[in-house]
Amino acid sequence: MYQRSCCQTTKEWRKLHQLAVQCLGKCLEGNPRLASSPRPVSFQNLPTFLVQLVAMAGNKGRGRAAYTFNIEAVGFNRGEKLPDVVLKPPPLFPDTDYKPVPLKTGEGEDYMLALKQELRETVKRMPYFIETPEEKEDIERYSKRYMKVYKEEWIPDWRRLPREMMPKKKYKKAGSKSKKVDNTSKDTSLTNTADVLKKIEELEKRGDGEKSDEENEEKEGSKEKNKEGDEDEEDDAVEQEEYDEEEHEEENDYINSYFDNGEDFGADSDDNMDEATY
Amino acid sequence: MTQAEIKLCSLLLQEHFGEIVEKIGVHLIRTGSQPIRVIVHDTRTSLDQVKKALCVLIQHNLVIYQVHRRGMVEYEAQCSRVLRMLRYPRYIYTAKTLYNDTGELIVEELLLNGKMTMSALVKKVADRLTETMEDGKTMDYAEVSCTFVRLADTHFVQRCPLVHATENSDPGPPPPAPTLVINEKDMFLVPKLSLIGKGKRRRSSEDDATGEPKAKRPKHTTDNKEPIPDDGIYWQANLDRFHQHFRDQAIVSAVANRMDQTSSEIVRTMLRMSEVTTPSSAPFTQPLSSNEIFRSLPVGYNISKQVLDQYLTLLADDPLEFVGKSGDSGGGMYIINLHKALGSLATASLESVVQERFGSRCARIFRLVLQKKHLEQKQVEDFAMIPAKEAKDMLYKMLSENFISLQEIPKTPDHAPSRTFYLYTVNILSAARMLLHRCYKSIANLIERRQFETKENKRLLEKSQRVEAIIASMQATGAEAAQLQEIEEMITAPERQQLETLKHNVNKLDASEIQVDETIFLLESYIESTMKRQ
Repeated sequence: MYQRSCCQTTKEWRKLHQLAVQCLGKCLEGNPRLASSPRPVSFQNLPTFLVQLVAMAGNKGRGRAAYTFNIEAVGFNRGEKLPDVVLKPPPLFPDTDYKPVPLKTGEGEDYMLALKQELRETVKRMPYFIETPEEKEDIERYSKRYMKVYKEEWIPDWRRLPREMMPKKKYKKAGSKSKKVDNTSKDTSLTNTADVLKKIEELEKRGDGEKSDEENEEKEGSKEKNKEGDEDEEDDAVEQEEYDEEEHEEENDYINSYFDNGEDFGADSDDNMDEATY
Repeated sequence: MTQAEIKLCSLLLQEHFGEIVEKIGVHLIRTGSQPIRVIVHDTRTSLDQVKKALCVLIQHNLVIYQVHRRGMVEYEAQCSRVLRMLRYPRYIYTAKTLYNDTGELIVEELLLNGKMTMSALVKKVADRLTETMEDGKTMDYAEVSCTFVRLADTHFVQRCPLVHATENSDPGPPPPAPTLVINEKDMFLVPKLSLIGKGKRRRSSEDDATGEPKAKRPKHTTDNKEPIPDDGIYWQANLDRFHQHFRDQAIVSAVANRMDQTSSEIVRTMLRMSEVTTPSSAPFTQPLSSNEIFRSLPVGYNISKQVLDQYLTLLADDPLEFVGKSGDSGGGMYIINLHKALGSLATASLESVVQERFGSRCARIFRLVLQKKHLEQKQVEDFAMIPAKEAKDMLYKMLSENFISLQEIPKTPDHAPSRTFYLYTVNILSAARMLLHRCYKSIANLIERRQFETKENKRLLEKSQRVEAIIASMQATGAEAAQLQEIEEMITAPERQQLETLKHNVNKLDASEIQVDETIFLLESYIESTMKRQ
């Protein structure tokens, strides 16, 4: 008989029978047609009853048969009401039954709190905080110029870092060659617009080799806007250059970099080495 | 690294170093060791910016580099070190309690700058201390050096690995990256420097509030031109030593809570004596005899030898097993079980989390399963004396949150469910890991919420800052009370209220971060200690 084959012991079978009766009871509650049946459900006719039920349900349910394990161990039994099936992810901010314990207070905690907030402000002013270059706004606010925080420059110890870390000056050689030329020709090449235009014409006439030389002069001259990043061997030259530029800046009111002759447009756009400051 | 850790690292890097460094750092944490070209390509930032970011990260010991075959240099991020940035306030506060303001500033400067030479550090700290002193008084370099030497002697600061000085006879091109070596013996050796000088007060003319453009600012004066005597010898904060200190603090306070003040003092003495003899990752300290402990007790405590012995016996018999007896010579040899102590602390954290989240009955079940190791469903109900339905509900709730796990013991090889035992058990290591992961997530949430709150009220904050600046400058130039009153009224009462609420919330969030970090420390120490023993 199929009833016996699914259960291990008689005890289990009896339990199963009880469970089935309960289930049946529940089903019958909802189904008045069956409930009116005169026959009582008993040990003998249970199987047929079940088969009828199943047939009525239109289900060939084999799976409706007995369970192969101890039903109690699963956690629900005796036809308990099971919780509803949840078909969505858990809520993002679930309600907690228990409120959290208040935070620790004390002298130490207060001090650490103050320290934390102070540190947060301090790190923003350190040279290690690299700001993202902001896009230019439509109208440059006057106040922005005066709200800039001055940051100390930081120069890492190059001996401790891999060699590839050092910013390479693209036109180092040209730079050292033209340094002398720079200091003498700066006066002429930068302060006078007419001269600059003349130079442009000259450059166009001359070849590429000299052109790059001139370019470098222009670039070095127009460098107050960009900060030099070459901290290495050319400290003296840099100092001198800076000093010269300062001198120049104070001599006239014009911004020297305004006269951009457009020749170095795109030349150094790929590699902004000289803007590197640490 | 888990997603939660990466998110937290990203938030920390962004707060400390800005977005560019954050991008590079997070990329390295995610993908592991990479050469610079690959980083440039993957993060789509310019080479220049990647170099800057890497320099900053290497300076702060967050990224290390290695030379691989074919001369390629690869950079690797240290995720765990990034997470230490949460703990900076705690380190600084500890230094303050141990070595006063001087020590506090030394550690603060070291943490903010990553690595520094001793001379630069002493100078900077002296300047800072001079700022806070009254007019006319300055801080002497010698005093700062003295504190620094004490910090080095107790191992709170250590030397960074030095550049290996290669002989010039080595032909060929120089290596792509210097090898850094450190001799164990030299790690805490302070160079003989005679730093003479006093701290300088920053003159008001150098005050950068006016924001002069960089070109006009005169270069720093002749100090830079002098040769630095300890050039190349950099120092960094020794975080492991701080962790050891925190661990000792936790054990002592646990003993004080469980027993009394005197026993905690005894344990503190024992730990202090073992500081230098026991490595920080040892499972238990070196045995100490009762006589030694008696001699080393702090001067204020005058308990007799018998009382000390009684206390030690009591501590050794305690079921928590913080202190163990390892022999009888010298009046009894006692050790402190560091690993067991950390385990108990981690377990206590777990228990308290269960209690606060699920209630005291769940906590009872949890402690029961912890104690009995493996229990069946029925046994749980019986031992805990909780009705079956509720017990089941609670067990499943804890099971779904992974505090408790199921152990299957099959009776037959086919693992049929009807013929298998299902036992509930608590696996402390995995529960600790799960809780640690949740802690990382919660701190990330706290930081995000704080940033959100600040961003919401940004306009108001800026306004209040401007008003404060105006008031300060007016007070400096001597304004009347009426004028000040007028300025103060620029911020209306509701706005003031809003500011107060914001401040209160931000303080609360910050304090929560600090407290969650304490739990993180306990759990991490326990997990580390367990992994080392395996």
